[in-house]
Amino acid sequence: MYWENYYLPETVDEVLKHLKDSNGNTRIMAGGTDLMILVRKGMVKTQGIIDIGNIKELKYIREEGKYIKIGALTTHSQLAESALLKKKARVLALAAGCVGSPQIRNAGTIGGNIVNAHSAADTAIALTALNAQARIKGPEGEKEKPLSELYTGVGKSFVDPTKEIITEFVFETPGENESTAFMRHAKRKALALPILNLGVWLKTNSGKNILEDVRIAVGPMDYKPLRAVETENMLKGQPLTEKTLKSAQETIIKEIKPRDSFQGRAAYKTDMVKVFLARAIVEAVGDLGGRIDG
Amino acid sequence: MVKKTINLNVNGKQYELEVEPDIKLVDLIREKIGLTGTKIGCNNGECGACTILLEGEPVASCMMPAFKAHGKNIITVEGLGTAQNLHPLQKAFLAYGAVQCGFCTPGMLMSAKALLDKNLTPTEQDIRQSISGNLCRCTGYKKIVDAILAAAAELRGEHEVKWPVTTGEDVVGSSVTRVDGIPKVTGESKFANDYYFPNMAYAQALRSAHPHALIKNIDIEKAQALAGVLGVYTSKDIPGPNIVGIMPHIKDTPVLAGDKVRHYGDAVALVVAESAEIAEEALRMINVDYEPLPGVFSVEDAIKEDAPKVHEGGNMLLHRKMYRGDIEKGFSEAAVIVEDNFKTRMNEHAYIEPEAGVALYEGGILKVYTITQGAHYHRGEIAVNLKLPVSKVRVIQTTTGGGFGGKIDVSLQVLVALAAFKTGRPVKMAYSREESMITSTKRHPYYMHYKIGARSDGKLTAVQAEIYGDTGAYSSHGPGVLTRTAASIVGPYEVDNLKVDAYCVYTNNPVAGAMRAFGSPQASIAYEALMDELAQKLGISAVEIRRINGYKKGSVIPTGQVLTDGVGFMETFDRVVEKSGFNR
Repeated sequence: MYWENYYLPETVDEVLKHLKDSNGNTRIMAGGTDLMILVRKGMVKTQGIIDIGNIKELKYIREEGKYIKIGALTTHSQLAESALLKKKARVLALAAGCVGSPQIRNAGTIGGNIVNAHSAADTAIALTALNAQARIKGPEGEKEKPLSELYTGVGKSFVDPTKEIITEFVFETPGENESTAFMRHAKRKALALPILNLGVWLKTNSGKNILEDVRIAVGPMDYKPLRAVETENMLKGQPLTEKTLKSAQETIIKEIKPRDSFQGRAAYKTDMVKVFLARAIVEAVGDLGGRIDG
Repeated sequence: MVKKTINLNVNGKQYELEVEPDIKLVDLIREKIGLTGTKIGCNNGECGACTILLEGEPVASCMMPAFKAHGKNIITVEGLGTAQNLHPLQKAFLAYGAVQCGFCTPGMLMSAKALLDKNLTPTEQDIRQSISGNLCRCTGYKKIVDAILAAAAELRGEHEVKWPVTTGEDVVGSSVTRVDGIPKVTGESKFANDYYFPNMAYAQALRSAHPHALIKNIDIEKAQALAGVLGVYTSKDIPGPNIVGIMPHIKDTPVLAGDKVRHYGDAVALVVAESAEIAEEALRMINVDYEPLPGVFSVEDAIKEDAPKVHEGGNMLLHRKMYRGDIEKGFSEAAVIVEDNFKTRMNEHAYIEPEAGVALYEGGILKVYTITQGAHYHRGEIAVNLKLPVSKVRVIQTTTGGGFGGKIDVSLQVLVALAAFKTGRPVKMAYSREESMITSTKRHPYYMHYKIGARSDGKLTAVQAEIYGDTGAYSSHGPGVLTRTAASIVGPYEVDNLKVDAYCVYTNNPVAGAMRAFGSPQASIAYEALMDELAQKLGISAVEIRRINGYKKGSVIPTGQVLTDGVGFMETFDRVVEKSGFNR
């Protein structure tokens, strides 16, 4: 027996009411693609499930002013196929398209992917590169948190699904001279966790030959998506040349701490992160019509 | 548990059912609605056999609480087309040979339908992407992709899929219609886990907690007292000798381990209960008192003088000698000698259908519907271990979802038979994917040392090899596999002087047995690499050295057999060279 009660609320307010009434005995399920395995293996126990799959107000991808806003119940398939994301924040569309398989992408949601707190979750890498904020509703009202603050340990989320709910992700729409890229390496093309994934957001000058700003997110390195801050600082203000890329490659391997894992060995990940970083920058810059000078 | 009402539309028909709030969608479809075309292959969302369309989108129904479908529309394979009125996808799957064991087929069809509902002009890449969540172990996917392309063409109104493939009697040399094909594409085929009988109970086995340990005591009292448990059985409850094994002279595998466990897959107790869930709960209430023993996990360790013994007779199960000609003379005639060590790993068959069976004991006849690649062998083992005359035991092979050699050995057949025999109830036993992987046989991991000599014109003069196969905790087909390796020590290449020592060794690893090509592939890793090395050293091409040595009419193989007719190697080789464009 997995659980005794099953609720199918249609609004966020109803969810909050169920959570309050159940006093920590009931937890939220979005797509359920991770939770079902955890429950079956006895790693998560709960008396009841609040299935938020029917809450229409949490399913959207839209541009509002300077921001792109994504409802937490948006599925990976919807992210991957979104014309808006493909055009303006490709890193997230590409990342979502790599998750699991079509069956998993049709059920799994971005909110669930983040609350599951796997540091290499593809959408987490993309959202980190986009510097996204999560909007969370709970008994004390609403709060906003940067994505990097949603991880409290290995597989542990700041968001407690027996008390609160992520409703939305928000990030600044990449504008003029800004672009993104996503790289992923896995043992198979489907149904495989990443050996390495890397997301980049960057901004060039109008001449597209100087890197003005950059964000680099890498997984799986730590208990949370890793921001390669030193590499970012090193890159800011540099000309877009082969030499700059080389320096960036040397910097990033000093700041990441990959581990040997079932997916791949640390030494291999170190070699690959150099390749991925260079490719991501080349691709993002190329997307803006720029190029790397020899 | 308080039941809850669910409303859903399945294949155009509206259902309102009272069900447990934690039932999964796949179980609702299979057990409450009775549509067993939707399969369970992994229960983990990985294999895609459970794929259905929810509001038109393919999803894994094994990962989904049924209530996620409340108020929604579902299509299963049964909603695609009927035997009398096949959907173009079903016709194309049959016409293009995309249906083999048939277990992945329903899920595969659902993913394909979802694609074609949106896109009638898919590229091969679109198709491969759309079925990337559906695993198939038989076809290699090519035929499935071709079938989906053909179905799309028919749906576009371009050209119809040619079906049936054959109509006349002259079938030799032409593609024929698969005899069990239609029920496999409509979801009507009954695999072992698709059988349901009134009053059916469920059996589950407790597996060893150690790779090597003595069993001091098994306390089943608490488990037996659990409500809903019909019986808990240990080795003492088996009427017969409690031993099985596919090699008639080496029966070494207990049905239920009594005094000792030799790998994690050993069953130590069997629970029969009103439901699979109760049986699983009862398993956790059985206390086994083990005395762990040091184990051996590699051939190197297992053959040491002071190695822990997996079986009383020691760890060396077989030393197969294949000596012919004069090995010293052979090497003395060689212009070049190459020598190296090779190691191969264990492989899992990973058939998409896990082991399952249903047993009934009625009117003195014990009937077992089960997956099997050896119904008569299984019947014999059941009869001996239950002390029943063979004439009172029937083993009926159900449509079997892939075997590849892994379903020849006894898996659950004697256990499920024992459960029905003891309780008098129809009993079903179905392995989880995890249990299947832990208990089933594997391809033997090999350790090989090879030395091959050749004349300056490329002709092989001598082969010397020592082969060690890790057969795990029990023999299974081990001696046969190692003997086959010795007999095809340089595959399809002639050599007159050879000295082969093949050893089959017990360890505390998973049991290795029969798997596709039975001992030949491991050797090919070694000798094909060395053939290339010989060619390089002799300055001839890799193609040429194989032509020089390949089996032809009149060739003598390592066992001394002279090949007379239907050798076929050279023709096959030439075709491969031609098609691949390989020329080095």
